[in-house]
Amino acid sequence: MNAGMAFKLSHLQSMLLFALLISIAFGFLSRRRPMDRVKYIVWSLFLFLLIGVGIGWAMYPFSH
Amino acid sequence: MADETAVQADPPQDSRRETMAFITGVAGWLVPGLGHALLKMWGRAVMCFLTVGVLVILGAGMRGNVFSSSGNDAFDTLGYLADLGTGTFYLAARSLENNGADVSHAGGDYGTRFLATAGVLNLLAALHSYEAARGRKA
Repeated sequence: MNAGMAFKLSHLQSMLLFALLISIAFGFLSRRRPMDRVKYIVWSLFLFLLIGVGIGWAMYPFSH
Repeated sequence: MADETAVQADPPQDSRRETMAFITGVAGWLVPGLGHALLKMWGRAVMCFLTVGVLVILGAGMRGNVFSSSGNDAFDTLGYLADLGTGTFYLAARSLENNGADVSHAGGDYGTRFLATAGVLNLLAALHSYEAARGRKA
C-alpha cells in the first residue's frame, strides 16, 4: 500500500464498520434462511451499537 | 452376517469423512471462505471472504499492528496467533502495511483490533466449515 492510501476513520465510523462487518459474518454463519439472517444481523448490529455507546458514556466521567 | 459387513464398512467411511472435514477446515483457515466453498455453501463462503478481507484491508490501511513471531510478551504472542488466524491474508496484511504500524493514534489501535478480529473470525468460520463437513452443523 502506498503512503497516500491510509484510512482515516473517526471512532464512530470505526465502530459502525466493525459492528456491521461482524454482525454480517455472525448472521451468515449462524442462520440459514435469508429472513432469519437479516433479523439476526439487524439485532446484532443494534446491540453492538447500544453496548458500544453505553460503554462510551459509562467511561465519560473518568475522562473529565 | 449382513450387519457384520455393515459394521466393518463404517470405520473407513468415518475416517475418510474425518479427513475430508480436516482438509475443509484447513482450507477454510488458509483462504477465508474456501472451506465453505468446498461444501458448496456459497453465501457463507463469499461473506467469509469479504468480511475477513475487508477487516484485513481496513486494519492494515489504518496502520494497525501486524504482529510477528518475535513478540516481546504474552500479548504480542496472542496478537500474533490472532493475526495468523487470517491464513494467507496475514501475508497480505504484512505486504499492505509498507509504512509499519502506528498505534500512537486511535486509528492505529482500531486497526490492530480489526486485524485480530479478522483472524479470530476466520478461525470461527474454519471451525464452522469443519463441523459442517462432519455433518454436525449446517
